[in-house]
Amino acid sequence: MPANIVKDEVVLKVDHLKTYFDATKGLFAKKQTVKAVDDVSFEIYKGETFGLVGESGCGKSTLGRTIVKIYEPTAGSIEINGRDIAGIKGDELKSFRKDIQYIFQDPYASLDPRMTVGEIIKEPMKIHGIYKTEEEMDARVSQLLRTVGLKPDHIRRYPHEFSGGQRQRISIARTLALDPKFIICDEPISALDVSIQAQIINLLEQIQRELDISYLFIAHDLSMVKHISHRIAVMYLGQIVELGESHEVYTNPMHPYSQALLSAVPVPDPVKGKEKERIMLQGELPSPIDPPSGCPFRTRCPYAMERCAGERPQMKMYGSRQVACFKVEEENS
Amino acid sequence: MEQNEILKVNGLTVDFATEQGTVHAVRDISFAVREGEILGVVGESGSGKSVSMYSVMGLLADNGTVTAEKIEFDGQSINASDYDGKRSYEKTMQSVRGNTMSMIFQDPMTFLNPTITIGKQLTEPILNHTKLTKGQARARAVELMTLVGIPSPETRLDQYPFEFSGGMRQRIIIAMALAMSPKLIIADEPTTALDVTIQAQVLDLIKELSKKMGSAVIMITHDLGVVASLCDRINIMYGGKIVETGTDKEIFYTPNHPYTKGLLACIKNPEENDKDLVPIPGSPPDLLKPPAGCPFVDRCESAMKICKLKMPPETVFSDTHKSACWLNDARAEKGVNAHAR
Amino acid sequence: MENQFDKKLQDIEADDALFEKLEDSEKDSEFIAVEAKTYFQDAWKNFKKNKLATIGLIFICLMLLLAVFGPIFSPYTYDQQDLTSRNALPSLQHPFGTDKFGRDIFVRVMYGARISLSVGFASAFINLIIGVVYGGFCGYFGGKLDMVLMRLVEIIYSVPTLLYVILVMLIFGSNIFSVLLAICISGWVGMARQVRAQVMSLKEQEYALAAKVMGAGDSRILFKHLVVNSIGPIIVTTTHMVPSAIFTESFLAFVGIGISIPQASWGTMASEARGLIMNQPIQMVWPVLAICLTILSLNFIGDGLNEALDPRKRV
Repeated sequence: MPANIVKDEVVLKVDHLKTYFDATKGLFAKKQTVKAVDDVSFEIYKGETFGLVGESGCGKSTLGRTIVKIYEPTAGSIEINGRDIAGIKGDELKSFRKDIQYIFQDPYASLDPRMTVGEIIKEPMKIHGIYKTEEEMDARVSQLLRTVGLKPDHIRRYPHEFSGGQRQRISIARTLALDPKFIICDEPISALDVSIQAQIINLLEQIQRELDISYLFIAHDLSMVKHISHRIAVMYLGQIVELGESHEVYTNPMHPYSQALLSAVPVPDPVKGKEKERIMLQGELPSPIDPPSGCPFRTRCPYAMERCAGERPQMKMYGSRQVACFKVEEENS
Repeated sequence: MEQNEILKVNGLTVDFATEQGTVHAVRDISFAVREGEILGVVGESGSGKSVSMYSVMGLLADNGTVTAEKIEFDGQSINASDYDGKRSYEKTMQSVRGNTMSMIFQDPMTFLNPTITIGKQLTEPILNHTKLTKGQARARAVELMTLVGIPSPETRLDQYPFEFSGGMRQRIIIAMALAMSPKLIIADEPTTALDVTIQAQVLDLIKELSKKMGSAVIMITHDLGVVASLCDRINIMYGGKIVETGTDKEIFYTPNHPYTKGLLACIKNPEENDKDLVPIPGSPPDLLKPPAGCPFVDRCESAMKICKLKMPPETVFSDTHKSACWLNDARAEKGVNAHAR
Repeated sequence: MENQFDKKLQDIEADDALFEKLEDSEKDSEFIAVEAKTYFQDAWKNFKKNKLATIGLIFICLMLLLAVFGPIFSPYTYDQQDLTSRNALPSLQHPFGTDKFGRDIFVRVMYGARISLSVGFASAFINLIIGVVYGGFCGYFGGKLDMVLMRLVEIIYSVPTLLYVILVMLIFGSNIFSVLLAICISGWVGMARQVRAQVMSLKEQEYALAAKVMGAGDSRILFKHLVVNSIGPIIVTTTHMVPSAIFTESFLAFVGIGISIPQASWGTMASEARGLIMNQPIQMVWPVLAICLTILSLNFIGDGLNEALDPRKRV
């Protein structure tokens, strides 16, 4: 398990964050909004890995990208070290960018194909003017390449000459160039081979131990998220439906959606894997343009009640767990 | 065990001519698939797992060359070298593909034509391979759609691919693959593009249908969880070679090859408590210049000098379990003996 | 079926020492077999495979050399008249013969190359700069600004080039700069559209987003990442702009608009030779041949580059 968490030191605090996109088609069509992230709140402590799971289209990547301000938030606040960055722009924002970095999913698309590895890793240093001479930068690049397990003489090569895992390590080296306090990992291993996934996960853990970095780890591969995360949040249709200690959520998921999601994970064991009972979800993910009233999951939920359609369940604490579900609420009252 | 092998491949080698030189994608592999079984082919990208299956189906790109001692499907040779000329080979393959042997692709959207209705795409292979009338073919299509669990098939037949979700499209692909009740279905990472909940549905569907129709399935994947919950037998491929083959239990409970062991050590079983991940260091070999010896040598913890020089022979543990590794040689014990068995 | 190499291995295999553990230093698991090659090295290799394009490139280089150094080393100048040998046929003294004023046609063709090629390259260069900046700007920022600017482009494009030419000539008179200006007024539009489309599709790429997250400013993302990655289509469009500019200039000179006599451009030379086409058709051949071969060569180069720089056309 990764490093110690300092619980009283909050690195990132997201409060009632909403990111809506305009999806109006044509000039005179009715105005439509995609509620990609709809009222999400959580905080991440220093040295912690916070896992965010959910299926494609649930808004997890949009949430990550809103936090680093690739997308502008519609409402709510994003506090980094106690300072709200939701509304800031320009140079003020640039100084915050140093602290918060992003690892993209596709190592084939996230490195500029026309730059050498050296140029790619130097770019953030140049943007923020951390080093004065080329020699200092070269030395730092070599050091970073060694940190991620590549050779310093790879510096003059181009990204397309590397394998997927090697490229992902290059992009990790780039994010580390600015000594960030917080890194968002957006499915960093889903495009990689199994044997390489473990390398990247171990590398991320090792970096966390050495540098005390916090991660927001976005993924759909639940077994890896469980391994690396201290706490996880389950997202469905733009909302967090369950949040808790990763081990507890896995062994005893409370929200019906978490239960279905976890039961679907294939077990790498020939006997248990073939016997495993799965909860099959009915129907399909509703469109985020026109989400169901009340609880977003009610259209597919085996326990849906009348109340679920009328009002939206709020996140409630059950021990160390937060769940947004009326059924859980009733059972625990 | 010979009697009911539906597909038998001996000494298959596939090379690709590229700008940089020849890529030796598959190097002299042999395997067989039995009637009605689900065979998993596991390997990293570039290990040759897809290429070997595509070459069996005769679907390689123009720059690929296939040589094999024997490729036999359903008692008939489908080895290109047994035919005089490309045309007679293509003719045979056209009568085989989509008929007795069919394929499920990774990305349903690239396989379905976006401008043609699902019904038309589904009835086309039926009309090509049988003497059924249009009406009968349509009835068969409705039957297939029901089989793969698509609600209200009659109306959905007249819709276009974009009107279906990813999971539904993959179901249609499966329906198309099943149209002729094939004896062998080759599934190339059919669930990689899907979410876990949909993946579970699709896997269950493949398993159930294979049982119902008695079709053998070759499941190409990199996900060991998928393999464990679906397959009867597993081939592990690495660097263009099959390094280990065995039943599901043999591979998962008594793996022999260091690569198989390594793979199992670097995945997480969500039901087990925390163990540390033990990754395999390094990257797969570059098949432009494949190593002379064992392809895994540069990443193997217990590699010996011999491993760099010569490909290890196959050691047979049981009827089903074979592995190619020098550590199984008696002399490996006499060496430094640094590795723990 | 064992070959000699295998036999040898068989012998070595008996050696128990080979079953010793391989040292980590002897393993190379981050080995990369592909040679390190830059984008342009790769493109050059592909370009060289295209024979027509290579011949075109050699021809243009030769033409450039002649245009720059030819007139310096020639015993004649472009306007030096020799009334004793008028309308001479090609000979050792005058390789292409002389015109009706006894001027050496060879030196005039080389001098014409100076004008034609410089008009061609200069206008392509100006169009390149305007087009990349304008198109990049529109594509990157998008939205309403883009809509307004692109409508402006359409208005500019909808006016015929000849109209611009006549207008410019009226205001600035007949000289090489007016010709250049006239060609450039609407010439950059194609480039701007091309770059805009490229930038629009590339700006959603993850490496552009990565640069944004790192704190890169808009101009850095636009010019260091997006424009650099559109370099292939930009170069191809530019090489196709050169011949079209040369053609326009020659055409204008031929109909009598453009640079003034006694300066020689290929177009004016062809125009002058027109009067003698019945008696001295050879005088017409030289400038026309120069125009044709140059435009043909440049088009070959353009096609060659298009193939060499387009990643989709490679394995």
